[in-house]
Amino acid sequence: MDKALYIAMTGAKHNMRGQTSHANNLANSNTGGFKADFSQARSMPVYYGAGMPTRAYALAELGGTNLSSGTLDQTGRDLDVAIHGEGFIAVQGRDGQEAYTRAGSLDIDSQGILRTASGLMVLGNGGPINIPPAQKVEFGEDGTISVHAQGQTAAALVQIDRIKLVKPDLNTVSKGPDGLFHILSNPAGSTLPADANVKLIGGSLENSNVNAVQELTGLLTLARQYEMHVKMMSTVEKNSESAARLLQLNA
Amino acid sequence: MHAALYVSKTGLTAQDKQLSTIANNLANSSTVGFKRDRAVFEDLLYQIQRQPGAQTTQETQLPSGLQLGVGARVVGTQKQFTEGSLQVTEQSLDVAVDGRGFLPIQQADGTTAYTRNGQLHLNREGQMVTAEGLLLQPTIAVPNNANTVTIGTDGTVTAKVLGEPEPQAIGTIQLVDFVNPAGLQAIGSNLFVQTASSGEPIEGTPGENGLGQIKQGMLENSNVNIVEEMVNMITTQRAYEMNSKVVSTADQMLQYITQNL
Repeated sequence: MDKALYIAMTGAKHNMRGQTSHANNLANSNTGGFKADFSQARSMPVYYGAGMPTRAYALAELGGTNLSSGTLDQTGRDLDVAIHGEGFIAVQGRDGQEAYTRAGSLDIDSQGILRTASGLMVLGNGGPINIPPAQKVEFGEDGTISVHAQGQTAAALVQIDRIKLVKPDLNTVSKGPDGLFHILSNPAGSTLPADANVKLIGGSLENSNVNAVQELTGLLTLARQYEMHVKMMSTVEKNSESAARLLQLNA
Repeated sequence: MHAALYVSKTGLTAQDKQLSTIANNLANSSTVGFKRDRAVFEDLLYQIQRQPGAQTTQETQLPSGLQLGVGARVVGTQKQFTEGSLQVTEQSLDVAVDGRGFLPIQQADGTTAYTRNGQLHLNREGQMVTAEGLLLQPTIAVPNNANTVTIGTDGTVTAKVLGEPEPQAIGTIQLVDFVNPAGLQAIGSNLFVQTASSGEPIEGTPGENGLGQIKQGMLENSNVNIVEEMVNMITTQRAYEMNSKVVSTADQMLQYITQNL
C-alpha cells in the first residue's frame, strides 16, 4: 500500500486529538479558575537513509497552558477569593502533595477546615487552616485570615492564619492530570515558599480564561484539515484502484 | 469514536445542570428566606496520551507531551447564605433573622428542620406554626384572648391579654446556628436539615454569641440577584451552544469519513 495513506491517517488521527483538547477547553468555559490548554502539532519525520524525506508523521501535543488571568466575577460571598495578577493558592492535592490552583471558591467544613469547592484542603502557614466558629471571615490582600469569632465584639477581630500564596516561575508550572498545577522540576514532596507579593481579592471569583471564539474557530479549522486528510486517503485509494486495473489482463 | 464527542457531552451536561440551578433561583426570586444555589464546576481528570520528556531517540526527547482533558463536571451546588434584604410587613407574626441563625421547626416525623422563613401563623391551639403548619420549636402558645403579640429582638414573646394591665411572657424564640451552613441539606418548603458536613446545631438566644437578632414585623427576602442570574443564563446558554457545535462538527467529520472512504 502507498505510504501516503498512513501519513494522511496520522494527520487525521492527530487532528481529532487536537480537537479533543479544544472540546475540553470549551466544556470548561464556565469552570471557575480553569486555564485553557494550547494544542499544537509537530512533524515527526521518519529517517530512512539517503533519499527524499517524504514521510513526516503528525504528532499532536499540548504546547502548554494559557496562564493568563480570567475575568473577575464579583460574588460578594465572604469565602470567595480570587488572585489578582500572577500567583496561585496552595492546596493539598489528592495525592497528599502540595499543588496549586486559581479556583478560589472556598468552604468551611464541619470540622472548621478551609477547603476548596472540590474538597481539597487549603494550606496556610503550617498546613491546613482551621477556622474557629466565626460570625464573619475576612481575607486580607496578602491572604491573612481575620475572624470575627462568635460572641465577640467586632473590635476583637482575631488574625488566625494566612493562606499560602505562591508565585512560581511560570515556565516551571504545568497542569497535572488532576487539573491542579504542579512545579515541573521540583522533586516530589518539595514545596514552594510563600510569596508576600501575591494579591488576593475577597468576594470575587476568577472565571475560566477560555476564549470561546478562539477555541471554536480552532476546532473548525481542524475539522477542515481533517476533511483534507480524508480526501488524501480517498485519492490514495483511487490511485491504488487504477494501478490494480492496469494490471488486470482483460481490462 | 471521536473523543471530542464525549468531552463536549460532559460540557453539555454541566451547562444543563447550571441552567437548572439558575432556573430554580429565578423561580424563587420572591420566596421568603430563600438562599440561592451556585453550581460549582471542576475540570475532570486528564489522560496522558504521551508523557512529556519521553525519549524519541537515545539523545533526544519530546519537549512536551499530550495530556487530553476529559471535560467538565458539576462538583456540587453551594448554597449561598448571604442575607436577603429585609422587608417591612407590619404583621405581628412575621419575624426575620437579622444575621446568622435559623428558626428550628419540628417536622411531622418529630425531627427538627431549620428555616429562615419567618412567616409564622397560629394553629387551632394557638401555637406558632409555619405556613405548612409545622410547629416552631420550642412551642409557643398564644392565649386565645390575647390582644397583641410582641416579639423582642432577643426572641422573647409577650402577649397582652385584654383586661390585664401587664403583658405576660409566653415563650422565647430560640435560634440555631451551624459551623458550615452551606453544608445543610435543603429539603424543600424552605427547610434545611442537618448533615455530617454542616456540623452539630448550636442553639442560642437571638442577639447573643454571634446570632442574629429577631426582627418582628419584617421578612427576609430571597437573596437571588435577578441581574446576576440573567447574566449567568446568557453565558450558560452560549457555552451550551458552543459545546453542541463541537458535537455537530465531530458528527460531520465522522459522516465525511464514512461517505468518502
